[in-house]
Amino acid sequence: MRKFLWWSLCILSLLLVYNGLAFAKSGVASQASSGLPWWSWPIILFGFTFIIGLIAPMSGVGGGVLFVPLSTAFFPFSVDFIRGTGLIMALTSALSSSPELIRKGLANVKIMAPVVCVSMVTSILGGIVGLWITNAFPSGKYYITIALGIVLFIIFIVMLTSKRVEFPEVKEQDNLSKALGLTGSWFEPTLNKIVEYKITRLPVGIFFFALVGFIAGMFGLGAGWANVPVLNLLMGAPIKVATSTSMAIIAVNDAAAAWIYISKGAVLPLIVVPSVIGISIGARIGAKLAVKAKPVFVKYLVMAIMLLAASLNIIKGLKGLHIL
Amino acid sequence: MNKENKVYVDPLNITFAKFMEITTYIGLIVMVIFGLLYLFGLPGFVNMKHAISHWNLPVSKFWEEVKGIRVYGYSWFLTNLTAMDCLSMVGICILALAPLAGVVSGIFKTKGQKAYTIFFIILTIEFLFAILKPIIMPGVGGH
Repeated sequence: MRKFLWWSLCILSLLLVYNGLAFAKSGVASQASSGLPWWSWPIILFGFTFIIGLIAPMSGVGGGVLFVPLSTAFFPFSVDFIRGTGLIMALTSALSSSPELIRKGLANVKIMAPVVCVSMVTSILGGIVGLWITNAFPSGKYYITIALGIVLFIIFIVMLTSKRVEFPEVKEQDNLSKALGLTGSWFEPTLNKIVEYKITRLPVGIFFFALVGFIAGMFGLGAGWANVPVLNLLMGAPIKVATSTSMAIIAVNDAAAAWIYISKGAVLPLIVVPSVIGISIGARIGAKLAVKAKPVFVKYLVMAIMLLAASLNIIKGLKGLHIL
Repeated sequence: MNKENKVYVDPLNITFAKFMEITTYIGLIVMVIFGLLYLFGLPGFVNMKHAISHWNLPVSKFWEEVKGIRVYGYSWFLTNLTAMDCLSMVGICILALAPLAGVVSGIFKTKGQKAYTIFFIILTIEFLFAILKPIIMPGVGGH
């Protein structure tokens, strides 16, 4: 069964990349109206995001982080619509999972609150700056595409090098974390006991979250790739608390940034609805497959796809600027 | 199971989660149902074929070409609520309001935690600014 799953995943990922490359190479991607009938586009979007939804839970990479760069590299939509859609997809995913994680004690609203007070502002700014660049400059979209490729390289390096500590030891909290009572507990089924934790280094953490919020708002990405290492490695949150609280942070940040894209008309139901449905169904199946699949293998496969997408984005941007 | 039930979760967290979840479900239902009706051919504000032939353009140029309008704010869909895609946009807006619903409801559960009352009020103001900025400062931050 495992071998079958691995091969299926490999084939699906290769199909995803091959079709995208063929599409881009044929020049169809650079034309708004291709030879494809118009009604095929919602179906293509559904299929594409369904595959992303299948892979995402197994790889630990959010759907938005896969959707935005791959769509920018392979699809003909403007990067404005891609980012708007990416935001709504990341938002939907975060909103769907956060409430249950909060009720279980895994996502801590008290950690989230001071952090998002700052990162919400920067994610709104990121959305404003991103849309301004693409619309104010004739070649603005190429700058954004190149910047997106660079951010993806950074994400790739973070994923490659960052370790995860299941239960970090926090000996002493900083004064601010102590004053705010940043502690919590949850029932860990693998240990069959209630685990208590405390958080530290809140001021430094807030600085990093501000930066991450700006990037997330500007590129329409979720921010789990950065939130989790900051919460886990810097602030001492157990890995499960870090990933869960990250979802709550993404929900708030992305919701705020989404209004910028909605008000500019950069969110089209034609693109958003099939994408959200595709990734939601794919993620439900992917979550069940994740139990059986080998996560390390899938993680490296997805990272390879991200590296490819990063390269393609940079090449596409440089070609647009007539540098290549 | 018994041990799981003994985990203490601050009532603030529970209230935040509850109101965020309810709003999420409403938003998802509205977005998906009207979005599907639009995709299956019921009348929309944006003609799908026309949209597909121009969706490579930056967003401001797209709206000029497809509808001959410049989009600022939310009137582009709020004044066309007979169109399925505009109703789907209402669902998307409800989704984007879900965290705000959680934050506002959480304010009433922060008794004795002044810092969190302040945080939640700040978050509410920031959210309202994000929502209202396109209306009160439409030219700021791009056209």
